[in-house]
Amino acid sequence: MRFTVPIGPQHPALKEPISLRMTLEGEVIRDVDIRLGYNHRGLEKLAEEKTWLQNIYLTERICGICSHSHSTCYTQGVEKLMEVEPPKRGIYLRFLVAELERVHSHLLWLGVAGHEAGFDTFFMYTWRDREVVMDILEMVSGNRVHYAINTLGGVRRDIDDLQKKKILDSLDFLRRRSEFYFKIGANEPSFVARIAGVGRLSKEDALALCAVGPTARASDIPQDVRKDDPYGMYAEVPFEVATATTCDVLGRVVVRVKELMQSYNIIEFLLKNLPDGPVAVRAPRRAKPNEVVSRYEAPRGENIHYIKSNGTDKPERLKVRAPTLANYPATVVMLKHGFIADIPLIFAAIDPCICCAERAVTLVDGRSGQEKVVLMSELRKQAQERWKKAPLKKDAVWPF
Amino acid sequence: MRIAAFLPEILRHLFKKPATVDYPFKKLEVPKDFRGTPFLHPELCIVCRACVRDCPAEAIDILTVNEADKKFKMVIHNDRCIHCAQCVESCPTTPKALEMDQLFEIAAFSRWDLKKEWEYVKAQVKPKAAAGTPSAEAKS
Amino acid sequence: MAILKTLLYLFVYPGLIFLFIYSTFCEWFDRKVYARLQNRMGPTHTGYWGILQPVADFIKLLAKEDIVPERADRTLFTLLPVFGIAAISTAMMLLPVWHFSLANSSPNSFSGDIIVLLYILTLPTLVFFLAAWSSTSFFSTIGGSRVLTMLFGYEVPLFLAVLSPAIMAGSWRLAEIAAFYQHKPLLLLPNVIGFVVSVICLQAKLERTPFDIPHAETEIVGGTFTEYSGKKLALFRLMTDVEMVAGSGLIAAVFLGGFPGGVILGFVNFVIKTLLIIFLLSLIRALTSRIRIDQVISFSWKYLAPLAVLQLLITIVLKGFVR
Repeated sequence: MRFTVPIGPQHPALKEPISLRMTLEGEVIRDVDIRLGYNHRGLEKLAEEKTWLQNIYLTERICGICSHSHSTCYTQGVEKLMEVEPPKRGIYLRFLVAELERVHSHLLWLGVAGHEAGFDTFFMYTWRDREVVMDILEMVSGNRVHYAINTLGGVRRDIDDLQKKKILDSLDFLRRRSEFYFKIGANEPSFVARIAGVGRLSKEDALALCAVGPTARASDIPQDVRKDDPYGMYAEVPFEVATATTCDVLGRVVVRVKELMQSYNIIEFLLKNLPDGPVAVRAPRRAKPNEVVSRYEAPRGENIHYIKSNGTDKPERLKVRAPTLANYPATVVMLKHGFIADIPLIFAAIDPCICCAERAVTLVDGRSGQEKVVLMSELRKQAQERWKKAPLKKDAVWPF
Repeated sequence: MRIAAFLPEILRHLFKKPATVDYPFKKLEVPKDFRGTPFLHPELCIVCRACVRDCPAEAIDILTVNEADKKFKMVIHNDRCIHCAQCVESCPTTPKALEMDQLFEIAAFSRWDLKKEWEYVKAQVKPKAAAGTPSAEAKS
Repeated sequence: MAILKTLLYLFVYPGLIFLFIYSTFCEWFDRKVYARLQNRMGPTHTGYWGILQPVADFIKLLAKEDIVPERADRTLFTLLPVFGIAAISTAMMLLPVWHFSLANSSPNSFSGDIIVLLYILTLPTLVFFLAAWSSTSFFSTIGGSRVLTMLFGYEVPLFLAVLSPAIMAGSWRLAEIAAFYQHKPLLLLPNVIGFVVSVICLQAKLERTPFDIPHAETEIVGGTFTEYSGKKLALFRLMTDVEMVAGSGLIAAVFLGGFPGGVILGFVNFVIKTLLIIFLLSLIRALTSRIRIDQVISFSWKYLAPLAVLQLLITIVLKGFVR
């Protein structure tokens, strides 16, 4: 006997609103229907009304955890449009902050995975050690989140030797703690019992559904934009692509911890080989009419920005394809044949950043199945009519 | 797989000081160059309006009080400010007329309490000195 | 005069007010230990060292809006918290704390009272199940079925483990069991396996990590407690705290040799031994993550039940030698 149950839009397992309608048979999931659109903010339209410089700060605020990835992806694209080449030191500093962001995002994810499984002690410890990375980022860029260190033509701030030394010292501490968390994550029996064999995504399915990021790499697909299509200075930096063969949530934990260790190596390389020189060059106000596609490996997967200019100082069109959007079809396949108890873990294993992935919304008529795009004033009118006709709430009892 | 792999670590923590900072009774230091709120040095401003143009949140307004006396009024709307410090970068004077302070505890009960105003007379642009002197350089 | 004395016993000590104060103290202790194990502070600012925090939570919950869902069974929904508190307070009356030696024991110590105590400790689980069932919302129904499934897992090992020392002592009366072990403290050592098994089963009965499946926050929103709010939720939380005290009191009486020493010293003994067991419970809570419901059943029937049977065999063999 099947019945449909909504997980979300409001649910303690989800940090952001998304609606997953599950068709259940007992405690086993048979089908999932994902509905988006609860977090839509109209960023792409707003980007058309702000200048190239102001849009850096706008794209940064698409997400809080992967803010630097959106900002860098956009800035890379615009620099190509304006035919401006940032200096070497600027590129090195930009990607130093990018790797630090990857470290903080993966430590955050380890904590969230622990919390979804009920392992609160692990959650508290990983977030306490993540504070070291947040303090470094505050020292380098002036803020813990939304670093705002990119500008058209390079970066805005420089680091001196004292800051360099502080970052290198804290790398030892972070390396030790990451290895300890890996040991716990792979050895604590109750935790491994929750995450092993859960959320299977076979290699063929991952390729067919275009999964990106650690979700795909845990299914033994060595796909990483930093290696396949190197941007910035990644062609000169030695590092390996982290993969795992188990295709389940345990594999994703392994991939993310391996990426942490690789990021520490990259940060050390960048700091030791930092070239001298200016950190930014002057960029023009206008860009010639052209279009560009910019790719970037965010902590969650491949981030794509498409930017089109028409010769003025404002973009004609900005389109953002966040990595979580590419992982949704893979999530549906992973959730089928799983238990209810595994829903939060499977969903958290793709590292969902739902606010990154919200784009235009279409309304689907329930009876006829027709789709249309509606104005906000229309939607507001419909909502007010419905509210006027709803019955009064009878059961509330106010105390005292 | 080892049973209670975590146990020695958590028992050790029973005897350590907690990692929590007991805010608001104890506060953390912010590093220098922390981006707090912007404020103006009125005697240096040349009213070029670069900050008004470049602010992503439209948080700076410069109004003309008296054209003949060259009196202007700058209003910084701290309730709209996103603390990106682009205004400080766009300011072309040396030393910069706009500066960021290190305040972050700026909560107020009403948004009208968060607006700051300065009335001032426009400063003179220094004429370019002999070649080689770094005068009012435009920064990117 | 007798009526006044009975009323004093029922409401002040060892009645409801003492229970309220002591169980909120135990909840504070549990939260503080759990926080320190995680390198946090725990309750700090309400009263000295945050000791009034559980009382503050209780008072805050009393002041919140109380909603009964439309399709819920109104009478059952409202009466269940009160019934739960009544049941667990009765369980506290049977612990051998209120009398100070076997010679002048109190009237609620009788032969077979350990069985009655174990039976009354099952009632809160049934109250949880009925509360979930009468809420008629999807999440609480799942929580209710999980409560009963867990009952099949831990109840048998708990009974076997707690009854083994009783067999060794040769009596079903808690006061006599405690007196036996006070005379021969060395005989507490063969009961170690039973002690470990019963502490783990107590953790499952109290529905704390790794067994907090019925009210798992990140999976089913609140499980049994999803639809409860206001005064009823306050009573349910108080019931969980009193259950923790009653369960640890039972284990301390049976495995740690009771509470000898008269009025003052016996009470201090009670406090120290229950706090020791609550410390062990908090340690287990900080150490593990939540496991799935099918893994609970397989764990308890593969490991806990055989260990409890082993303890029983050891007890029977040793009894032959002791006699």
